Amino acid sequence: MSRVKRVAVTSPQTRLAHSRRRARGRWRVPRLAASDAERANLLYRAQRRRGLPALAGMFGLVFGLPLVFGLFPGLDSVRLAGIPLSWLMIAVLPYPAMALLSWWQLRRAEKIEDE
Amino acid sequence: MVAAFAVAPVVLVTLLIGLRGVAAMRTTSDFLVASRRISPLVNSAAVSGEYLSAASFLGVAGLVVKDGIGALWYPVGFTAGYIAMLVLVAAPMRRSGALTVPDFAEARLASPALRRLAAVVVLVIGTLYLVPQFRTAGLVLTAVGGTPYWVGVVIAGTAVSATLALGGMRAATYVQAFQFVLKLLLFIVPAIWLVSQVSPEQRSASVHPVEFTHFARDTQLSFEIDVTLTLREPATLLTPEKHVVPPGELVARSGETLVFAEGTPVPAVRGGAPLGGPDWQRPLLDLGDQGYPLLGTWAILIATMLGTMGLPHVLMRFHTSPDGRAARRTAAITVALLGVFYLFPGVYGVFGRVLVPELYVSGATDTVVVALPAQVDDGWAGSLFTGLLTAGAFAAFLATSLGLLLVISGAVAHDLAPGGLRRLRWSVLGAAAVMVLLALPSARLDAGVLVTWGFTVAASTFCPLLVLGIWWNRLTAAGAISGVLAGLVASSGSILVALFVPSLSGLPAILVSQPAPWSVPLAFGVMIVVSWRGRPPAWSTAAMLRLHLDDRTAETPSSWSEHRSSTVRRLGRRLNR
Repeated sequence: MSRVKRVAVTSPQTRLAHSRRRARGRWRVPRLAASDAERANLLYRAQRRRGLPALAGMFGLVFGLPLVFGLFPGLDSVRLAGIPLSWLMIAVLPYPAMALLSWWQLRRAEKIEDE
Repeated sequence: MVAAFAVAPVVLVTLLIGLRGVAAMRTTSDFLVASRRISPLVNSAAVSGEYLSAASFLGVAGLVVKDGIGALWYPVGFTAGYIAMLVLVAAPMRRSGALTVPDFAEARLASPALRRLAAVVVLVIGTLYLVPQFRTAGLVLTAVGGTPYWVGVVIAGTAVSATLALGGMRAATYVQAFQFVLKLLLFIVPAIWLVSQVSPEQRSASVHPVEFTHFARDTQLSFEIDVTLTLREPATLLTPEKHVVPPGELVARSGETLVFAEGTPVPAVRGGAPLGGPDWQRPLLDLGDQGYPLLGTWAILIATMLGTMGLPHVLMRFHTSPDGRAARRTAAITVALLGVFYLFPGVYGVFGRVLVPELYVSGATDTVVVALPAQVDDGWAGSLFTGLLTAGAFAAFLATSLGLLLVISGAVAHDLAPGGLRRLRWSVLGAAAVMVLLALPSARLDAGVLVTWGFTVAASTFCPLLVLGIWWNRLTAAGAISGVLAGLVASSGSILVALFVPSLSGLPAILVSQPAPWSVPLAFGVMIVVSWRGRPPAWSTAAMLRLHLDDRTAETPSSWSEHRSSTVRRLGRRLNR
């Protein structure tokens, strides 16, 4: 129960810097070293090329499924284990499909960077 | 009593975990992004914990009762957003080194004006999203424990702001990750218990919906909000004494209690598919019964999916990853974690239709989840599970509010009026106070409208800004500013029109109340056209490519003497061809 005020042990400069009103630092022109720019460009193109199929798959799944329901209303009356098939297709099917899709895309994206 | 036992532990644990985060908090970076030391698994649990708000825990099941099976498209859109995030945003966004979305905008486009505009958009989205969280906290405590509305709101505001002001993002991360596990358990275990407890007839009824046409027993309805009922046939009411109401409109005021006699035809509710009817069973969302189910479904999907990509509090979580690769993994794991949770709202929805159909008439469909256990078991087990679900719902408000409050105070004290750690802490308390004051008079607002609004604004402002900023080197600051402004004005204006001009019908009604299908392309279009008319600065290609450089090479300090801008210019020319 001492009355001594506890102070974090830091360099006086650090303490000063932290208590000062923080200027966010002026914006600096982004620069890339030549080798880095070359590599970044390759990565950019590879990621774009590999990202598009995954995006197409996602949009196809998410926007295609309502279309299927719109075109085939009969799915509502087909039953699997007593539950309407269309209910299973909206409540269960998309989640494992999306998890697989994201896992697939993650592996492909990381492979590009490993090369 | 149940409410106290359920909520007190959640609030206490939140505060305790929050206290743990106080250690080693010295800089803005510690406060806003937890020093960027969060592993992908913990971070994805925190992202999911933050994302599973009241709307997911209570709202989706309620919407299933109100609008039909098609409401299950909401969680599909919520989850799909993270795939888009994984492909387009996660890694480059983290590699920008920004602390907030406005930071990112300035780093990429060097425009202080854009930074301020982005901060204002963060405030708009944060408010639209946070007020409903506090509101639902108040309503749920009222429904379960009978406390006045303001008590729940103030408890939520106090717990969240205290945790955050003390522990910042580190505390928020641990709290959210813990609450994800808690929510998952508190949602799944009662669902399994429900399925095992209901009688075989009820189970069969839940998958063989019949239209809810007559009250099967004397039914007491308590109205928390004003509801206009349409009586097609004379109805027998038992309040104040038994009398017959002629066909026509019957307005039930909030706070009123009506008792419908057994066998009375069920009145129709404006703006919902007849419960259990053929439209209700269809897995499409016919918004407001305007007759365009496919368009309505797509509109919701666009708003939720692209909106997720632009939610500032979710984006901020990705900045806590140590590097771009970890951020990408976080997004991928999140898809799987959310997928597990979202298998269950439908269970509550279909049982809610069978067991508590009267909530459909009283408009209190948000309370379906917490109302179910008492219908199945009126002993201790029912109370126990009601308590567990209430605790889970409260955890949902707290986790989401933590993230939103952090991003609001970040926008105020880091982007609009930059200051140090002390200002960040005070702005947390200030923002929480303002949000509580805003939530107090909003008990009657439709929370669904506000959350959809927030998602639509995010989809039509930050989504195009991030996608074009990361993937298009010709984006200019002028293009970004005009696109964000166009998206903000178009989406908010349209929803305001829908709120104040309720007489629209048909196609315009859907496009005005759900503007995402046109406001998102509009924002993209304005950004592209204005950028095309201007000239991107010479460094814009370098600013974009920098985001795609993987962490291995970026970590090694490259000497400035190596730098030759001609390479960047040459690459820029090649990209533009």
